[in-house]
Amino acid sequence: MGRSLFALVALFAISLSTPFTLGEEPQADTPDAKGITLFDTQIKPVLVKHCYECHSKDSEEIGGGLELDSSAGMRRGGDSGSILVSHEVESSPLIRMLRHEEDASAMPPEHKLGDEVISAFEEWIRLGAPDSREETGPTAKDQRVEEGKRHWSFQQPQPFESPTVQQADWPRGVIDNLVLARMEAKGLKPVADANRRTLVRRVYFDLIGLPPSPQQVEQFVADESSEALANLIDPLLDAPRFGERWGRHWLDVVRYAESSGMEFNFTYPHAWPYRNYVIDALNQDKPYDVFLREQIAGDLMPVGKDETPQAIEARRIAPSMLAFGPKRHNSSGTEFQMDIVDDQINTIFRATLAMTVACARCHDHKFDPIPTKDYYALAGIFLSTEPLYGTIKQKYSNTPTDLLSIGPNAAAMHATAEDHEKKIQEADKQLAAKREELNKATEAEKLATAKKTEAEKIVQAKTAAVEEGATVDPAAQQTLDQAVASLQAAANQVVALKSDAASLDANVAELKKNRPPRPQYAMTVRDRAKPVDTKVAVRGNFRDLGEVAPRGFLSAVHVANPPKIDASGSGRLELAEWITSPDNPLTARVMVNRIWHHLFGRGLVASVDNFGMIGKQPTHPQLLDTLALQFIQEGWSVKRMIREIMLSRAYQLGSESDANNIEIDPDNRLFWRATPRRLEAETIRDAILAVSGQLDLERPVGSTVTPLGDQLVRGIPTEKIQPPSNHRSVYLPVVRDYVPELFDLFDFPSPSLVSGQRSVTNVPSQALYLRNSTFVAEQTKHAAKRLLASKEVTDDAGRADLAVRWSLARGITEAERAGALQLVQQIQQTKTEGSDRNIDAWAAWFHTLFTTAEFRYLVDVL
Amino acid sequence: MTKNSSQPIVSRREWLKAGSCGLGSLMVSGFFPNRSDAGLLAPKQPHFTPKAKRVIFLFINGGPSQFESFDYKPDLAARSGKKGIGKGKLLGPLWKFAQHGESGMWVSEAFPHLAKQTDRLCMLNAMQTTSRAHPIAIPMLHTGEFQFVRPSFGSWVLYGLGTENQDLPGFFTVKPTRTFGGPANYGSAFLPSTFQATRLGWDGQAVKSASIRNLTPNHGLTPDTARGTLDLAQTMNQRLLGQTEDVRGVIDSLELSERMQQAVPNVLDLGRETKETLDMYGVDAGATDDFGRQCLLARRLVESGVRFVEVSNSGWDHHSGLDKFKTKAETIDKPIAALLTDLARRGLLEDTLVLWTGEFGRTPDTQVLDGKETIGRDHNAEGYTAWLAGGGVHASLTHGTTDELGYKAVEGTVHLHDLHATMLHLLGLDHTRLVYRYGGRDFRLTNIQGNVIHDIIA
Repeated sequence: MGRSLFALVALFAISLSTPFTLGEEPQADTPDAKGITLFDTQIKPVLVKHCYECHSKDSEEIGGGLELDSSAGMRRGGDSGSILVSHEVESSPLIRMLRHEEDASAMPPEHKLGDEVISAFEEWIRLGAPDSREETGPTAKDQRVEEGKRHWSFQQPQPFESPTVQQADWPRGVIDNLVLARMEAKGLKPVADANRRTLVRRVYFDLIGLPPSPQQVEQFVADESSEALANLIDPLLDAPRFGERWGRHWLDVVRYAESSGMEFNFTYPHAWPYRNYVIDALNQDKPYDVFLREQIAGDLMPVGKDETPQAIEARRIAPSMLAFGPKRHNSSGTEFQMDIVDDQINTIFRATLAMTVACARCHDHKFDPIPTKDYYALAGIFLSTEPLYGTIKQKYSNTPTDLLSIGPNAAAMHATAEDHEKKIQEADKQLAAKREELNKATEAEKLATAKKTEAEKIVQAKTAAVEEGATVDPAAQQTLDQAVASLQAAANQVVALKSDAASLDANVAELKKNRPPRPQYAMTVRDRAKPVDTKVAVRGNFRDLGEVAPRGFLSAVHVANPPKIDASGSGRLELAEWITSPDNPLTARVMVNRIWHHLFGRGLVASVDNFGMIGKQPTHPQLLDTLALQFIQEGWSVKRMIREIMLSRAYQLGSESDANNIEIDPDNRLFWRATPRRLEAETIRDAILAVSGQLDLERPVGSTVTPLGDQLVRGIPTEKIQPPSNHRSVYLPVVRDYVPELFDLFDFPSPSLVSGQRSVTNVPSQALYLRNSTFVAEQTKHAAKRLLASKEVTDDAGRADLAVRWSLARGITEAERAGALQLVQQIQQTKTEGSDRNIDAWAAWFHTLFTTAEFRYLVDVL
Repeated sequence: MTKNSSQPIVSRREWLKAGSCGLGSLMVSGFFPNRSDAGLLAPKQPHFTPKAKRVIFLFINGGPSQFESFDYKPDLAARSGKKGIGKGKLLGPLWKFAQHGESGMWVSEAFPHLAKQTDRLCMLNAMQTTSRAHPIAIPMLHTGEFQFVRPSFGSWVLYGLGTENQDLPGFFTVKPTRTFGGPANYGSAFLPSTFQATRLGWDGQAVKSASIRNLTPNHGLTPDTARGTLDLAQTMNQRLLGQTEDVRGVIDSLELSERMQQAVPNVLDLGRETKETLDMYGVDAGATDDFGRQCLLARRLVESGVRFVEVSNSGWDHHSGLDKFKTKAETIDKPIAALLTDLARRGLLEDTLVLWTGEFGRTPDTQVLDGKETIGRDHNAEGYTAWLAGGGVHASLTHGTTDELGYKAVEGTVHLHDLHATMLHLLGLDHTRLVYRYGGRDFRLTNIQGNVIHDIIA
């Protein structure tokens, strides 16, 4: 039924042309009075008898979202829009439904009502469709919205008194107090603290995504001060490696990629500056609210007095986030725009507020209090924004845009380069014209040659005819002379033109050779010249427009003194301010929850990207609120929040199990131990490179996608999409559908989807990769050479141990040493030509270590 | 034809046994009731008793013409040359049709081998899909959606049913297209990556040269020492078992990788087939060689317990050159007929669902390209032909018709969503209950559409 209703409404542009006049007392004999009588006697009984079953508050499921048991519900209509246009019978979808017209949703579905009943409805609409029913409270839909607004995540975070706990000597601070209180309430006990070696490895991977060196491990183990952990954490927070690690978390959330994805996958050669922006922002500890404002509306933010050009430029790169989303470049027009807008809304709201606003594109949100109108209020903001994603016009790519030029002298360099391109075009044009001229002249020369030949023949013929001694026919001779002269002229012309063309040709070649250097480019957005409000697209169909939705924010989220959208702008800056207002109940909670998720493997709200009605409830609502308030108070500092959480005792627990706890809380939802976590694809790769000594910590220039230019990815050989690299994984190109093999295998999230949480799989293709791939084989060889060159160890037992220290941040066990030495000796003793068995032997030991669960999991170091 | 015309790769009983003592023993519930990915792929109970246990999806890429294959249109033949709806003229079928089998099913002479298989086919002559554009229709066919990246059909099936042979991946795609969605057509999107297809080759590559990555070691160790490193690693893994059930997943996957190194080359090795079988599929016989190999691979894979196999054949986008249709048809006709015969004689057809379809079909009129009328037809999403065989479908049935000229389905319409719903139903899965929660919503293959077409079920 819902589907056919859609079909019907798609035919109509619906609007209530006359406002209903409820509340006014109807006069006798007025159309209203007549209409009311008609309603009471003939319309209402039919509604009750034939419609209420599916279309009232009491219905099991309200059909098509249409409620007919109240005047408010009738006026509002269903998911497909209004059903009544008062006074206009033929424009009222209701009538078409009752008539069982083609393409309309036949109502009632089983049988058509009698003609006289339908006539009564027509008359009633003609009279303005007045309704006598008393409003009996909100409609089911309004009720749902009201209930929705009471959902926990829409309420302001509240400060809490720190609870008292029985095990009073356990907590080190407020976090621990709150965590322990929840445990005690459930009869759980925290397990023992993690040992030092476990902790140092956990901290290194969590903060910088790299394993600690044996020296770094020993240094921490030996530090007996009470500040030992802070001494470990602080330098790591300050290391450039920190931004590379935590920046990647954010890149997951904003579905960062360097190609358009979808069916025609075009490269985005200029997405990478955003990647660097994110890494730098994390390293600078840019306040999170500023970080968000820049990404939503950095181009619109006023320039501060003392700001460096770099800071201003960074802010303009930041909104790339709105430009590199997946796009169907073969699409065009409104459809293309609306799909981009949908992706922008989806990304921003899931990233910042963990709200699935995009669900409201086609109908009011099924679960959350987000009406379709809110969606289109936001859509207006983004329709008034032009995404600058670049691309060039080519087959399957219809709508190229400008880009932002960046770097020193960018604007001037860009202008010079563009001028130069114009010169080339102009010179090309001149050359083409000259060549055309030359063609014509060549033709003329041919013609003149033919004429001359003809004239010669005539002269010869005439001469032959009058026989010997005769004089040449003067007329014929004259024609010949003229022909000779013409040919000469034509030939001269050709020679001249050839020389001209050659010099023009040289000119073009010269120009092309001397193209001035271009600046670097980045993606961004800018406001369109004329910002507009848009209309609700009924059922998401942009060809079927409903009421105007003035640009605005989410109606269910209360923010005191919300910014007013300036009619002359898109409203993006105001949206950014609204999202980052300290009053917004979601923004800080969502981010501290993301941080918690990365440090514990599970968020306080497990559904990190969904804080809506069907997201998960917070396991520790008080803790979440406390952290959120603290986050705001301390200036939205991500580094401080990470530090705070890491210094808690809760973070420092071991992973050992406990039979009693397992019984009560098998999923460790209350954090009574540290859940062992699988390292991400990037971390696995970086760790392998770190152990092999091949890791290049320099930031590469740009991206390897940039020199590929604008083209379809499918035409590019894999080795050019993913050339060999020893840089950190965050710098490897992220081409949609063509991510590096290791990423693909180890659950790198689809860069087309917002992913605050990665899945963890254990599949045989991972095992095959670690055991058999060229990359791992090469790195084990490098690691073996590095080991053999090490001066720290002198014998095989020492080497076996050092390999374990590099790979697993711990010393070797007796059993492992025996196994390793046996393996190594076995290989050393097999003599094979052409390879160094010693290297092979140690490579095999690294192979063993790289394949272990311990290498790719954060577990207790036993 | 002999029943044991080739060496069984691993008999079903054998791998079931291997399953129970290999995988099964590893799945003894550990201390932590956490997810193990072997568990994700373990065979699962469907919603109700299935008629089909596995799927072979023959993707005929480009939009094969129903008028030259399976949809008999005498009126179109009669009116050939008259004005059509578009700029071109109506084009009568270029090959003669005749009735075949018990039901007198119509098949054109371009498919002489399939014509002998009509008693196994359930012909769907009134298919419809959402769009007549390749870039939309191909992802639609594979994922039920085109605007967003969604799990592929095979991923949903694997998610719903798991797989039977734990020595092999459960979902294979052979020579998929790189375009129009590319890997997304066999990807798992938001489902765990365990459910994505293992790819063999690409469209355009000879299947002979296709392989699975990293099956062959690069470390230069003897098999013994390689096994030694694995054993050492596994011993180290055992120490961590008390900490997380995930370690079980690592141990399992390492063991499976070892088994795959053996099993995969075996299952891919067509040299284990008899000459009679190879000949039947047209292997090493010129035009039929490549697709013959693909079909034979498909049989070997499902026979070994793989749940879902897709094989692709491209080059069916006949905007012109339809006069060479039969030559194209010859490349797949014999191999597909052989596949059906082979499945049947091995007792596999009854619970293997075979789907033959393009992303859409073609129009009854010719096309005018660059001002010239061509011997070709444009895309048509309003009415086209697909067929099913085996796996509980109503064999020997022609279901649905298009209008007399073949522009549009008029009766017995089966929308692509309905086809998905019906195929899931045959596999014992209720398409409205096979859902996965992602981003706050329950997603399913058929989105909010799809009706099971009971008329085509036996």
